[in-house]
Amino acid sequence: MAAANGSSDLYSEMEVDAFRRLFPLRYHEQHLLKSVRPDARKLGSARDTTLALGAVASAEGSALAKIGSTTMLAAIKMEIMTPTVECPDEGSIAIEFHMPPICSPLVRPGRPAEAASVISKQLSDTILSSGMIDLKELCLVGGKAAWMAYLDIYCLDADGSLFDAALLSAVAAFSHLNIPVVSLNEDGRIVLVSEDNIQLKLEKQPVNTEKRKLKLNSPPFSLTCLLHKNYILADPTAEEESIMETAVTVVLDSSYQLVSLYKPGGPVHAHTSVIQDCVALAKRRVKELQSVLNEAISDMEVERSRLSLHHT
Amino acid sequence: MAGKSGSTPTTYSPSPATRKKKRIPIADADWVRPDNRGFYQCRPAYLKTGAVSTAAGSAYAEFGNTKVIVSVFGPRESKKAMMYSDTGRLNCNVSYTSFATPNRGQGSDNKELSSMLHKALEGVIILESFPKTCVDVFALVLESGGSDLPVVISCASLALADAGILLYDLVASVSVSCIGKNFVIDPISEEESYQDGSLMITCMPSRNEVTQLIVSGGWSTPKINEAMELCLGACSKLGEVMRSCLKDVVTDSKE
Repeated sequence: MAAANGSSDLYSEMEVDAFRRLFPLRYHEQHLLKSVRPDARKLGSARDTTLALGAVASAEGSALAKIGSTTMLAAIKMEIMTPTVECPDEGSIAIEFHMPPICSPLVRPGRPAEAASVISKQLSDTILSSGMIDLKELCLVGGKAAWMAYLDIYCLDADGSLFDAALLSAVAAFSHLNIPVVSLNEDGRIVLVSEDNIQLKLEKQPVNTEKRKLKLNSPPFSLTCLLHKNYILADPTAEEESIMETAVTVVLDSSYQLVSLYKPGGPVHAHTSVIQDCVALAKRRVKELQSVLNEAISDMEVERSRLSLHHT
Repeated sequence: MAGKSGSTPTTYSPSPATRKKKRIPIADADWVRPDNRGFYQCRPAYLKTGAVSTAAGSAYAEFGNTKVIVSVFGPRESKKAMMYSDTGRLNCNVSYTSFATPNRGQGSDNKELSSMLHKALEGVIILESFPKTCVDVFALVLESGGSDLPVVISCASLALADAGILLYDLVASVSVSCIGKNFVIDPISEEESYQDGSLMITCMPSRNEVTQLIVSGGWSTPKINEAMELCLGACSKLGEVMRSCLKDVVTDSKE
């Protein structure tokens, strides 16, 4: 106790910034005692979240998601594949999460970040098991051709809660996805049909006049919480994640059903009640994220109708 | 095929049914550029510093469809075990996203551009100001729309300035494509694909010094001179835009 008193004198003389760097845990605990966080957030609230659809012109669907400073760019490229023998009427989705060296001082070129492959796996498990996308909708010609959707998510700025931001950008990219019109040519290959040619009826009938937009069944959203002593911190920053190591990620679908829950170890053993608290926080967050997504979609539609007015 | 079936089936991207073989009419006098720009007109540029919060300095550059982010880390300890050095080291890396190009790529590191970027910046940074340590300049091309290297270099120079690394001057970089008898400045990918030759200059506008000059294809001496003048003029203009971008950040933060 004496030592603590001695050092508390030292604290009072120290500048805040130095204190933050030298005693990060103390610094954060002082905040937690007052139920506030260094960025003036309450313990249970998430950072400001923004979403922009159609950020990448060269992809069929794309979105830029920002949660605080954490930034994710997701883009979908559609290619053609031959369906497998087991599922002749289903397309496929390949999801990859990248952490390029620009996103964090901890990532160096040539050495992929460990976190990247973990998040990559979690994302594809979550998206594929949530049933958000019916793979049958990706079928073009039964047994012959189907869409392969390559979803690549790039982390542009890694400031904590990477999985949440990545999942949000992925869902948003799928909701922005515009499937091109294609037809089957004589060689059995799928070719693009351009808008002008449809009107002129120069080409073969397209195989997908419908199904241009994917139907998203109850898209999943997530919230990561940090556990420290009795505190639950929602949507942690990178600094908070580096100091307090126990994280719980809750993924709920749009009707608040549990899709997945990750608690990959950590020094804090969570009681069931704590997990329930995390789920309750996630539920509130899902509502927020749904309205962010809906707003982004309606913004895009307004923009689109404005553009089409210009053209006519 | 049999071994890896299921996990990664072979795929192809659907190509347009009517393939437009639009070779550029070289002799055609009234040829216009695909984006309706004048021959000596650069694409509209958008520059912003401080794009990545976790980096010491960073910048985002958008020239038409070419979109690039550069982060600078350091000066920090060099991760490679190397000998003692009085001067600092510069480490550059350029990579592409898998959706940067029209056909999906692997998104791997681009060794050639990395080394070009290193050579363009080496002469600008006052390496003596951070002995024993290393400055990392990492670039990610989000979308490739042509003239990628010049955009990466200009953006990297902004990011270095944002990180507070001592520089002799900013560097601005511009390229010119030679198509038939014409020069087109700041070419897009389509123009680059049918160019007969290209010239790229990286220079320090206020010192009037060139750090990198790359000429490829067949050029006559008078043509090289003309293209160089064109590039240098554009570089000094770009330099001004970059300078005002840096100044804006300072005046904004003061207010």
